[in-house]
Amino acid sequence: MKAELKGNTSVSLQSPTLFDTRQSPLSGALNGCLGSLDGACLEKLLIHCASALETNDVTLAQQVMWVLNNVASSVGDPNQRLTSWFLRALISRASRVYPTTMNFDGSSTIPKRLMSVTELAGYVDLIPWHRFGFCASNSAILKAIQGFPRVHILDFSITHCMQWPTLIDALAKRPEGPPSLRITVPSSRPPVPPLLNISTEEVGLRLGNFAKYRDVPFEFHVFDNSPSTALGEIMCKESPSFHFESILSHLNNPSMLNLREDEALVINCQHWLRYLSDELKGSPHGASLRDTFINIVKGLNPQIIVVVDEDSDLSASSLTSRITTCFNYLWIPYDALETFLPKDSSQRIEYESDVGHKIENIISFEGFQRIERLESGIKLSQRWKNAGYLNIPFCEETVKEVRALLDEHASGWGMKKEEDMLVLTWKGHNSVFATVWVPNGLED
Amino acid sequence: MVELENSSPTVSTASREVSGYEQTTPLPAAPPLKKKRNLPGMPDPEAEVIALSPKALLATNRFVCEICNKGFQRDQNLQLHRRGHNLPWKLKQRTSKEVRKRVYVCPEPSCVHHSPGRALGDLTGIKKHFCRKHGEKKWKCERCSKKYAVQSDWKAHMKTCGTREYKCDCGTIFSRRDSFITHRAFCDALAEESARTHPLEIPSSGPNTNAGHVVASSPPPPPPPTPTTTVASPALSIQSSELSENTIGVSPATATATATATAAYLNATASTTARSSSSSGAVVITSIFAPSTVTTITQQPSSFSNVICAFSRSDCPSTANPIEPASLSLSTSLYLSNNGSSSIFATPNQDYRHYAPSPQPAMSATALLQKAAQMGAAASNASLLRGFGLATSSSSGQDGSAAGWNGHVIKTECSSPSMTDGLGLRLPSGGGSSGLTDHVMMGGGSGSSSSPFGSQPMTRDLLGLGRDGGGTSTGGLSALLTSFGSGFDVAVTAAAASLHNTQNNNS
Repeated sequence: MKAELKGNTSVSLQSPTLFDTRQSPLSGALNGCLGSLDGACLEKLLIHCASALETNDVTLAQQVMWVLNNVASSVGDPNQRLTSWFLRALISRASRVYPTTMNFDGSSTIPKRLMSVTELAGYVDLIPWHRFGFCASNSAILKAIQGFPRVHILDFSITHCMQWPTLIDALAKRPEGPPSLRITVPSSRPPVPPLLNISTEEVGLRLGNFAKYRDVPFEFHVFDNSPSTALGEIMCKESPSFHFESILSHLNNPSMLNLREDEALVINCQHWLRYLSDELKGSPHGASLRDTFINIVKGLNPQIIVVVDEDSDLSASSLTSRITTCFNYLWIPYDALETFLPKDSSQRIEYESDVGHKIENIISFEGFQRIERLESGIKLSQRWKNAGYLNIPFCEETVKEVRALLDEHASGWGMKKEEDMLVLTWKGHNSVFATVWVPNGLED
Repeated sequence: MVELENSSPTVSTASREVSGYEQTTPLPAAPPLKKKRNLPGMPDPEAEVIALSPKALLATNRFVCEICNKGFQRDQNLQLHRRGHNLPWKLKQRTSKEVRKRVYVCPEPSCVHHSPGRALGDLTGIKKHFCRKHGEKKWKCERCSKKYAVQSDWKAHMKTCGTREYKCDCGTIFSRRDSFITHRAFCDALAEESARTHPLEIPSSGPNTNAGHVVASSPPPPPPPTPTTTVASPALSIQSSELSENTIGVSPATATATATATAAYLNATASTTARSSSSSGAVVITSIFAPSTVTTITQQPSSFSNVICAFSRSDCPSTANPIEPASLSLSTSLYLSNNGSSSIFATPNQDYRHYAPSPQPAMSATALLQKAAQMGAAASNASLLRGFGLATSSSSGQDGSAAGWNGHVIKTECSSPSMTDGLGLRLPSGGGSSGLTDHVMMGGGSGSSSSPFGSQPMTRDLLGLGRDGGGTSTGGLSALLTSFGSGFDVAVTAAAASLHNTQNNNS
């Protein structure tokens, strides 16, 4: 009898009546889950837990969490690890129902970890999640700025300028000599990992050091988008989007950015656009922050805009609809890390904890505190098209470069073209997309 | 085998194949799946899911020529071969070419790719996956002793292993150029170098921008294993002249990066206040990377993982400390106490005790269902947290472990008295608040769906709150919060700690 309890084999029931008389929600949840709890069962359990939380069915939520707890393990196999972070997010959500004096600012329950700049350099190369975007973008940027003596990059990203050393290196090797390079970044960024233990200015200094070493004329600017008034500070605490509104007002006022006539302007959005709210209500202009950004940028006359983000629709208002999409998307980094890092690797655990951060925000928060508003490439592309931009396909050379990059990573990573997007895939599943845009009417 | 009622065609496919483990012929495709709404990652929801047994999967010559019966590993090879037969036009066409795309699942039931939602698009892919994940690693690289189960992986590795190496001045070696460039741009070694000499020669020729030979004057940094403090300090003093005082002289010894990252990770909360003032940050960071911290690494990751482990299944690394057996015994006692009414699971505790770190839970879904049902029907001691084995000192016989664990947490933070009010002691009464709080206050199913597993009014609540109106329940909440790790949230932990203290004093 004990053997039947082990997970591998199907279980023959002694008393099937347990299941088919009273179809309880929990037995419904586990209906069809013979043997071990595989991904399909976990999905069902998550749906049931989510809907239980949304309908305040505490008992069912509790029971499902209890079952999930038996699967979850932060040092187990990828499914177990993924489940442990989901469970944590669900409990975090449930506990937030009680008004407390903590966590009003929407900060995560997961300890924030600061990295050194060299650690970050290694971090972005663990899996090609970020490097894919860097490679595709830099290659497209190089092509777009050909012949320009000056280049200005507006850098909106969360990876603290990790993208630029390879671009500077490529510019240094340009046959006609490097252009003058200017990089401008906002002073504040979305409060998500990876977090650095030095300031943005310090990063810029090091980057400048490297550019000097490679003989590339270089300038680095940080434009201050933090609030200058006490009221602004309060507003920032209440709503993280205030920082973004400040960015938008800077963009609306190009003189504040010190744009120059003879410069090729490059707008770089790497895993950043998803943090711009896509909600319509409560916005002053009747348009979401995201659409407002997309529209404002056109007025700057950019030479090229690169947009890289995560290819999944995770912005729905109902938890139940988000939770399985989230599960079926964020398994990818866990699965990828499993292929080459041991179960107790601290690097792996840290990376997974950062993804856990994202899971927590998506599952456990609502409203303006839920800052992870992922939108699939196809949908985001539609926004750009609607705003009057043209999608530029990646050239063959870029595709080759990206392929060469992926060859150096684990063999599950692949790439495909979807319309004019380049998509990073893990075992065939979409993970990150990259796109290039120019304002309509501006193409060569 | 008694068939359960199965409403989902997807899962029935999988279950059928589990029992068909021994079949040698490729199984015919299951009836086409209806579009499953929860498969956003699936390239083609109409795709046919094919589940092969391991033997069939690994069969090398699956594609057989109908004319001469020669076998081929790949379909393309078979087609090439068929051309050589000079077939008349009619026979050249493949018979009823399947337009529908096929996706394959892994035969290993515990594998994440066993589920159709994670199926892989091509047969070669699933074959390679199966070998890599579940197969024996027969191929070994001589240079770096990495092992591979698939020969082509091994070959691909042999091409790059040791062939191209980029070395940074700090001593770190990279096999990929872009990683090398990115590291180099931010590495302290570059900062040091430019502080001393203005580099006249740029190694622009050749693919290797190995700058090791550019500057000869700088002393080579000590190898990574030596205490990093000594490396950091010269870096600091040099950089302060060149760069702003915000420079954090993180040791260039990235070989210890993982160790130090862990230290930084676990120390994050303890030193957050220190880090926030960047001018003193340099000194603080250096001290974090001091050898004394490094040597405690072996303990700290295990305590971190133990904290999570105690909350989750007992699948901890072998460096687990006493907390693990404690949580086992707690959950065991729960099962034993709930076991009185059940005859199916004679000794479930044995499953737990002998749970070796295997990829899948030892309990089947139906076993868990039974347990959850009993939990719903059980008497008073079944709050969620106790079920998770997080009972505090209020439960009998578990004082030592829980207190020790909470004691560990208490040490890290100081308490903040204003927080004690916040932990659920002032739940709003009456209507108007959310349904959950209603349950808590009234202790019964007032208006929401009732538990089908028992006719008792709900004596449990989600987080152990409100049952006794204070006291033990709040201890349960504090245990939950502390279970999230020592760095959960400064305020949270402080509150929990102070609550626990209060409770300890009370009980």
